[in-house]
Amino acid sequence: MFDYIINVSGYILEGSIVTFQLYFVTAIFSVIVGIAGALGKISKIPLLESILSLYTWVFRGTPLLLQLFFAYYGLPVLGITLQPFPAAALTFIINYGAYFTEIFRGGIESIDEGQYEAAKVLGMNYRQTMSRIIIPQTVKRVLPATSNEAINLVKDSALVAVIGLGDLLRAAKVAVTRDFSIIPFIIAAVFYLVISSVIVTAFRKLEEKYSVYE
Amino acid sequence: MEMIKAKNIYKSFGELEVLSGVSFNVNQGEAISIIGPSGSGKSTLLRSLIGLEEINSGELYIEGISIKESGKKAYEKMGMVFQGFNLFPHKTVLENLIEAPVVVKGEKKAEAQAKAEELLKKVGLSDKVDSYPAQLSGGQKQRVAIARALAMEPDIMLFDEPTSSLDPELVGEVLTVIRDLAEENITMLIVTHEMGFARDVSDRVFFMDHGKIISDTVPEKIFVNPESERIKSFLTKILSQTNSSH
Ligand SMILES: Nc1ncnc2c1ncn2[C@@H]1O[C@H](COP(=O)(O)OP(=O)(O)OP(=O)(O)O)[C@@H](O)[C@H]1O
Ligand SMILES: [Mg+2]
Repeated sequence: MFDYIINVSGYILEGSIVTFQLYFVTAIFSVIVGIAGALGKISKIPLLESILSLYTWVFRGTPLLLQLFFAYYGLPVLGITLQPFPAAALTFIINYGAYFTEIFRGGIESIDEGQYEAAKVLGMNYRQTMSRIIIPQTVKRVLPATSNEAINLVKDSALVAVIGLGDLLRAAKVAVTRDFSIIPFIIAAVFYLVISSVIVTAFRKLEEKYSVYE
Repeated sequence: MEMIKAKNIYKSFGELEVLSGVSFNVNQGEAISIIGPSGSGKSTLLRSLIGLEEINSGELYIEGISIKESGKKAYEKMGMVFQGFNLFPHKTVLENLIEAPVVVKGEKKAEAQAKAEELLKKVGLSDKVDSYPAQLSGGQKQRVAIARALAMEPDIMLFDEPTSSLDPELVGEVLTVIRDLAEENITMLIVTHEMGFARDVSDRVFFMDHGKIISDTVPEKIFVNPESERIKSFLTKILSQTNSSH
């Protein structure tokens, strides 16, 4: 029994490598997309704003699973064939990028106009103002919402099992079918809980660090 | 030397004309108080001087340099203090002071820091270097804001109701700092509702009404013997308010 648990855990851990890869690729690039999208949305360039609004409307308003199917099964119809991992990563980045665009935009817009004015009369330019005054304050305000998304991403990552990507969940599923045992699912659940808890703790630490100034 | 020369400044927000032909000069070392009813354009005038608002027409020279031709350069001569302080909440008092000197002027951090400590001493906040704005009282915040503006070594300081959001007992400490600056001969424009202060400190008082400076004179004159009924009734009203609130 104990040996079985160790064995299956090892197997599921292998599967979780894909989950981790997807997680970090998505986390890094969707945050970059989100920052760029948020800056675009507040840019007051009408065309850019419209395009970004369409983007966030579509990707926040349709199921992630549909988007994943679209990228993996739909695009080949149009002659674009993606391997499972790139299809999944691309979908997740674009989807989470849409959420981060709105979260960061809201955060930036919540910063008092007086901060821009103070920076301006001190001679700071747009880049200095954003990078040194506005964005650092925004980070603090968006931490709770970002933390939520970071947890969601752990859970959403399991969706890639449906396009045949060998992630944590798929490894568990394979083991369940193969061994006719429920234990792999329980182990998978424990894995997800551990990952989520680590993320929650990391964000709590961050929030504590940022709370010094208020 | 003429520090500010404004000629026929007009400024509208949409249909609403807020500055309707404002002209004045300010000489080096002068302290000017700007008074007048709410909505008369006092804040808009200060904000236009420092480029927070773009004027629609008229000419503006800062130390002889035209705003139109020099763009940003003319604004660098000025510092501004806001009613709401606008300190950077994520930075300590010291960081608030050295931010612009280091980032904008490229000063060495150690130099900027030494200068900042000097300025904090001057405004009586040496013990607050490492505090965050949220840990300060309103009066302390405003003194930090003044020090932060001074850290850029401006030739001209603009104050937009620097004490209006303060509890009455904190007004004095801020006015004292501004008074000291006046004695150092830094050129200042102060929008204020503190009439006693305006009378004591300023070399001249501008009275604004409906987007115009309708009186530009020495404080003795405007407070003792105002030239129009409009000014007289404003002063009566505001003085009775101040007296009853204290
Ligand atoms: N950004 C803006 N957009 C539209 N209207 C504005 C704007 N800023 C000021 N105004 C209007 O311009 C007029 C003058 O405003 P301003 O703030 O200059 O007056 P003020 O003399 O400073 O008044 P107060 O004593 O209340 O501060 C007011 O009617 C105000 O509502
Ligand atoms: Mg005002």
